[in-house]
Amino acid sequence: MTDVPARDPDLVMRLARLGSIHQSRLSFMRILTRRMARDGWRFEQTAFEIDASGEGHAVYTAHTPERAYSLVAFAHDLPPEKRSDRVIADAWDATFTLFDGIPTPEDIARLAQNIPLQEAGRVTGSELSVSRANRSVRLWEHVVTALAAGQQPDAAQIDAVGYLMRTTAVYGSGKLGAADREMIADRPEFRVPFQAEMLSVYLTRWFVTDLVQHMADSRAARLGKTAATLAPELARSMGIGNSTGLGMAPFLLNHPVLFNNWIAARETALSRVRGLDQASPGDIALFRDLFDRAAQLVNGWHSEHPVQVDKLQALRDDIDQLRGYLERTDLSAPGPWDTLYRWAEETLSLEGQEWIASLMLEPYGTLVDELAGTMSADNTATFRIAGAMSISDLRNLLDRVYRWAIDTDWSAPGNKARAWYVSEEKLEPRLGERFEEPIEEYEQPLAPGRDAALLHAALKHWPDEAQVAEFILRHPEHRHVLRRVQIVGRAPYAEIRDNTISDRVLPIDMLRCKLAFFGATKFDPRSDRWVRICMYGNAPLPSELAPETADFWVYPTLPEVQA
Amino acid sequence: MSHSLNEIEAMSKRAARGAGLSWGLAEEAAKGTRWLSAFGFPGTDLLADLLEMNDRIPPIDVSPVSLRAPVWHAPARRMSPLIAGASLSDCAMRLMERGTIAMENICFPLLAVPFMGGAAQRLGHPVAAEWAGARLATDGRQLCVQGDTTVLRARMADQMVFTAPARMTGRREPVLRADVSAESWQRLSTFAHRTFAPATDDSRLRGAGAGLSDND
Repeated sequence: MTDVPARDPDLVMRLARLGSIHQSRLSFMRILTRRMARDGWRFEQTAFEIDASGEGHAVYTAHTPERAYSLVAFAHDLPPEKRSDRVIADAWDATFTLFDGIPTPEDIARLAQNIPLQEAGRVTGSELSVSRANRSVRLWEHVVTALAAGQQPDAAQIDAVGYLMRTTAVYGSGKLGAADREMIADRPEFRVPFQAEMLSVYLTRWFVTDLVQHMADSRAARLGKTAATLAPELARSMGIGNSTGLGMAPFLLNHPVLFNNWIAARETALSRVRGLDQASPGDIALFRDLFDRAAQLVNGWHSEHPVQVDKLQALRDDIDQLRGYLERTDLSAPGPWDTLYRWAEETLSLEGQEWIASLMLEPYGTLVDELAGTMSADNTATFRIAGAMSISDLRNLLDRVYRWAIDTDWSAPGNKARAWYVSEEKLEPRLGERFEEPIEEYEQPLAPGRDAALLHAALKHWPDEAQVAEFILRHPEHRHVLRRVQIVGRAPYAEIRDNTISDRVLPIDMLRCKLAFFGATKFDPRSDRWVRICMYGNAPLPSELAPETADFWVYPTLPEVQA
Repeated sequence: MSHSLNEIEAMSKRAARGAGLSWGLAEEAAKGTRWLSAFGFPGTDLLADLLEMNDRIPPIDVSPVSLRAPVWHAPARRMSPLIAGASLSDCAMRLMERGTIAMENICFPLLAVPFMGGAAQRLGHPVAAEWAGARLATDGRQLCVQGDTTVLRARMADQMVFTAPARMTGRREPVLRADVSAESWQRLSTFAHRTFAPATDDSRLRGAGAGLSDND
């Protein structure tokens, strides 16, 4: 091994790069599928009481070696005018909760009174998540019609959408009265972040497959016919969509230590792989195979948003360049991955750089998978301010981490054109125009660059040897950002080193980054602050989950070509 | 009603901000209320009492005048337990060097107790607080309660003394759910509501960036 340092936070933590990150083997969905297969989880449908109009409930249980978790799903017959992906919606095609254990009939009755209401309902410490999903109207109708007519749906139409339903929120960790993460964080299956939420989505995908079949069966029966059974390869190709707005963007800013740990895990993995002196023939063969399959995944990725259209074109050009590089390069030469990475950094767009950075981790599960265990965070220790720090040390820290912010002209309107605020409607986070809307007095602390620059200025006349505790007693308005600065001093990837309130900020960059860590693919922005994605596309169905299928499912298998 | 600790923290943060505290102090108030609730104390009631008492007043009036004074006191002769407590946590090292930090005329003294948990974690030693015949000690994770527990709901302590390192004789474990009175939740909601921008058609459309049909 050669020591290749992890990439500099000043390089990594820019919004344009964070907004170009791709899923990797350290993404939460893939960590979960590997665990479920390794530990031999067992899955069963224990209830499916849904009528011909699509109203009712179903229960799907996952049995781990020690425990059971059940997705309780409620299906609804939603009029089209009520269908909205926005958080301000109040009805959905389906609503869900992940129950800790196996629910009794009393539990189901209680949940039936609350889960369909989502934010207007209440749950208890027995529930680990609350979520909802809406149909993709086009694809849903196509699949039901085709199956009811005794035919398989059209693969091209399935590829064009990718999912039958998309979730519009998956709430966990204490929301609406559910169990706090602290209640379950010591269970091995939930030590990695978002595993309960990812499990609920995996089971949701199964339920949706059953529901579409049920609706096709019901329609065929009305016509006195028998519906076709959805082919497993078509079912497998469909994931669950997700439609996400600004609510997710503040998460990365509000959980700096957790965010650091995600990025640090991926950066550590990358530096380990780049540090390999030699690649074995088997590793090279696997990488070359996955390269083609990953390129195939990009081919099936569509967006109409101008920003993403350009990024996709750049990525496709990058993949062509990479293909040329791989044709003329002997990967059995010394230090192949570092050479490849450095070539990519000089040659490719950010999309291409991050795509290949994720892809080169693939052959090295034994080297990098254990980093999954470092991706959670306990904030208790880092929350406290170290009041004995001297003002001179604080100044040095600010100069080192927030130089870009100190050098920004915050009096220029464009540099602070936006403000993050929370609307009183369902507490929806929004981004407004500071100089055009009456929102500044409601501004949320989501502009760490500006706030760090203000702190830097406020320190100007304080003596070097004074202590932070004295300063912060006089200036409580700087307490929030001071805490951040001290956290970033210990956790270098904790801070987005970019302007989050400028007139050019693209909130979808933050959404993309978080969703990539979930394991999402096919990012399709609908605006600068709204994105649709696909989860678990191509993943093995529960009955197919095994160690051989649990790892590389995200990459489609290539069709056999006749010689 | 049973609430998750995250709900309590989120509500407390918004309420404290709505009452005029800085975001950084609102975060302290939220962590403290969560901590008290986890040990079965009526944290949300105490926080609502304090926010009503100090609603939108200048924080400097209820802050310690000097952290070097032998006894911390506030110009208004009533000290905020959140501001004094946050300073106590900031001064964890100084507390260890001095052995004790005394405060006078501190409002709702129980609200200052979670901060010594933060100090204890930083120091790696338990910290204790005593007022009016009650003594609480914590290492940040567990709690030891001794003496006259009727004063835990006191609105004011003439004198409150923090000690480090301290001894813990009993150990109470936190619970991960809390019963919250509907009345305190409503009072906090009133403060929290001040932090939400009124919804307008414009913000509905532009601020969330949707507006496309979802029926596709």
